[in-house]
Amino acid sequence: MEEKILSEKESLELISKMISETKNKLERGGGNIFLLWGYLGVCVSLIVYGLLNFTENYAVQWLWFLIPVIGYPAMFFMKGKSHTGSVTFIGSVISKIWIVIGVCTILVSISILYDYTLLPILFIMSLLVTAGVTMSGLVLKFKPAAVAGFIGIVLSFVLLLVSWKSQILVFAAMSAIMLIIPGHILNSAFRKQQKNANNV
Amino acid sequence: MFKELDPLLHSQLRLAVISLLMSLEEADFVFLREKTGATAGNLSVQLEKLSEAGYIEVAKSFLGKRPRTTCRITAQGQKAFEEYIEAIKGYIG
Repeated sequence: MEEKILSEKESLELISKMISETKNKLERGGGNIFLLWGYLGVCVSLIVYGLLNFTENYAVQWLWFLIPVIGYPAMFFMKGKSHTGSVTFIGSVISKIWIVIGVCTILVSISILYDYTLLPILFIMSLLVTAGVTMSGLVLKFKPAAVAGFIGIVLSFVLLLVSWKSQILVFAAMSAIMLIIPGHILNSAFRKQQKNANNV
Repeated sequence: MFKELDPLLHSQLRLAVISLLMSLEEADFVFLREKTGATAGNLSVQLEKLSEAGYIEVAKSFLGKRPRTTCRITAQGQKAFEEYIEAIKGYIG
């Protein structure tokens, strides 16, 4: 493209072509962040649950901190690798939603260092994350995430009704439903989009 | 009466850049070069002109170890683009 002067018709064609280039297309590996947090949630929950039953040592609860310790660096690494060179308005809104949720979860985690009986930690964490998944799904108009997020919000309240050991299993199930399933669906939708684009 | 078209926007590459930035929060130099198919040298010159006119903001940063130039449209740039569209509508009727 050069510094060519355009006719009025050519101008409009160019504007419409450029705007269509920025339409919301699914990004490669868009579901990977969901999968990262989902598998991490399931694995850590099952490890904590197994070790608690096996050792009866409550210090294994410290292992919950593996989720942010592994999750945040891995997420920033993946985001850096999948950088597309542009930020859409929707992408920016979703980032801001997760920044707020991230800050809230960190503050809640810090509060349990002070007194672990202070808050129903799994309930609060689940509610925050499911709210984030639902909002992301709604903003992206990605139904599986919105539906999974709503199911997750309802399941969060189940955490208040069951014993604390069972809460860990419910939390693992929630991670699978609200993060792993939408993550795989999102990646599969991207593959389909690529296949269709190649066939055109 | 036809409105005069903004000479800064009535040029292929600058209009392409502004059109892309109108629909994005921000875009980096590599993205703009790929989408417009322009050469790096030409794109740099045109970005400089748009930046001097106050139509875009250009920020330099690093992504890892690589330098990165990010552009975003300003309120003035958005207004100029909207006026350009209005003017061009008059020509096409």
